Amino acid sequence: MSNILQELESQISALKTTTVKSNVGIVREIGDGVARIEGLSDVMLNELIEFPGGLYGLALNLEEGEVGCILLGDEKQIVEGVEVKTTGRLLSVPVGKGLLGRVVDTLGFPVDGKGPIAATATYPVEKVAPGIIKRKSVSQPVQTGIMAIDAMIPIGRGQRELIIGDRATGKTTIAIDTIINQARINKANEGKPGFRPLYSIYVGIGQKNSNIARSLAILEAAGALPYTIIVSAPASDTATNQYLAPFSGAAMGEWFMDNGMDALIVYDDLSKHAVAYRQVSLLLKRPSGREAYPGDVFYLHSRLLERSARVDEKNGNGSVTALPIIETQAGDVSAYIPTNVISITDGQIYLETDLFYQGIRPAVSVGLSVSRVGSAAQIKAVKQVAGKIKGDLAQFRELAAFAQFGSDLDAKTKSILDRGARIVELFKQVQYNPLATEIMVSTLWSMQNGYMDDVPVDKIKDFQLKLQDYFTTRKDAVLGKIRDKGAIDDDITNDLKAALTEFKSSYR
Amino acid sequence: MKISKEARKLSKKLFLGSFTEGKLDEAKVRTIAQTVIDKKPRKYTDILKNYQRLIRVEVAKRHAVIESATDLAGDMRQQLLGTLRSKYGQDLTTEFKISPELIGGVRVKIASDVWDSSVRGHLSRLESNLATV
Repeated sequence: MSNILQELESQISALKTTTVKSNVGIVREIGDGVARIEGLSDVMLNELIEFPGGLYGLALNLEEGEVGCILLGDEKQIVEGVEVKTTGRLLSVPVGKGLLGRVVDTLGFPVDGKGPIAATATYPVEKVAPGIIKRKSVSQPVQTGIMAIDAMIPIGRGQRELIIGDRATGKTTIAIDTIINQARINKANEGKPGFRPLYSIYVGIGQKNSNIARSLAILEAAGALPYTIIVSAPASDTATNQYLAPFSGAAMGEWFMDNGMDALIVYDDLSKHAVAYRQVSLLLKRPSGREAYPGDVFYLHSRLLERSARVDEKNGNGSVTALPIIETQAGDVSAYIPTNVISITDGQIYLETDLFYQGIRPAVSVGLSVSRVGSAAQIKAVKQVAGKIKGDLAQFRELAAFAQFGSDLDAKTKSILDRGARIVELFKQVQYNPLATEIMVSTLWSMQNGYMDDVPVDKIKDFQLKLQDYFTTRKDAVLGKIRDKGAIDDDITNDLKAALTEFKSSYR
Repeated sequence: MKISKEARKLSKKLFLGSFTEGKLDEAKVRTIAQTVIDKKPRKYTDILKNYQRLIRVEVAKRHAVIESATDLAGDMRQQLLGTLRSKYGQDLTTEFKISPELIGGVRVKIASDVWDSSVRGHLSRLESNLATV
């Protein structure tokens, strides 16, 4: 017994007491989620600051005698004069596949009551975007399942496509539809060699809690939640959390990109994000510029959206596609934040209120919507059938306005008007019901080849639905061929011709 | 505390003029403060407040607060002082405090630098490490 006591004694005496150096400061002012701290002489920009009681802050303003810090939690327990210290760490969030199917807050903590998150790694929230050497051009498609978009404004993996429009024009619906379609594609192709699943991240910024709950319920009902991460920073959250939420989402997406996978991020919406950042900046007493936004509001969005990229094999072989959403006021795209984000992104889907109320849903404005890189990523079969549609529709819009004034039209004008009206009908699509690519191709093929010319415009939708039904139930082999080959060759053309002739003979 | 740019600039100038051979001169500080009070320039209270803050921060850079759970023995104090003065200069002033909440060990604070070997410090580090696991 005495031996063990001696052993313990010698072990205790061999223990060295360590002295830890830290850098501290004193809170001089606190309120509105912002603290001003004196001291902290060694603090670095964006460093995490530890407050008593487990609260953390982020050092954003390094001034001569003070540090401006935003708080990542409830400030009520902090009083003036308390000591805070630097941590030497950057703000990080958990990343990985363990987050799929979960709803998390800005800091990556679960808010869905499904228990702790099994994350294997953490990523810093602020990260420099991949440089030019690491990048690869966009060549793989993101199928939204919305015919108007996939045919005319195709999106590629690694692209940033803005969804812009007034309130209640279906912006979120397009994003949710896209997420649902990815889940369907992932499920249908699970385990197939060479298939690259696309995981989705939905970041709700400054949204009503009820809206986020509704989106969650839709995703759950559509079976898309297991492939989706929801980052929630609702309107009731602090401005700090709203400002950081998209960066957290980007960090989660980057993990997929770095590990050879593809991710899609929806930022819903960046208008509210800019407002949250304006609030934080004004409270930090940063100088304000146009519309009281701080001078770096452009950089705020450009550094966020630049993180969406497609990287080459040496640097992860993955991609992050971004679908930022911007809400305009009375259709004004020339306001400050919309013009900023339009100039940053690789194209935009513009939704018009007028079209929405005319019953054209999704209310995509063909003239103002564009995709700058997506056509390189479009599937050949879609390109074959949709190549001329945008031009046809633009011509139709121009002539439709002109044709209102006269009834005597020449044959060519009349045919353009007829074709245009049918395309418009064809592109109407109910929400949360994305279409498979092969269905889209077969429908567009039948329209392009004149099989719908003798169908009255008001019957087009009925014709389309019955045709889709016919193809899925009776001509699955043709759809399978389109799916596998990815292009329309003579063999498929003959099959389509035969199928359409048969269908038309029975269509009432 | 919102202080105008003008007041901040002036107080900074006064602060820079309060040094003699790189060290804060008490006599100069008194003279400057008295002159401001006598002449009452525009926003003089703001100027004085900011001047006081700058002086306070500067004084804190040369002042060590040594906290321990129990009273330190005389030779230990001398040893500590020697070490600190060799690191921070001979003009370092010290203040010894007894803080039973440290449980054991010593905590030294000079400006925003803190050397902590107290039991309380170890425990709180352990707590935060466990929280992040």
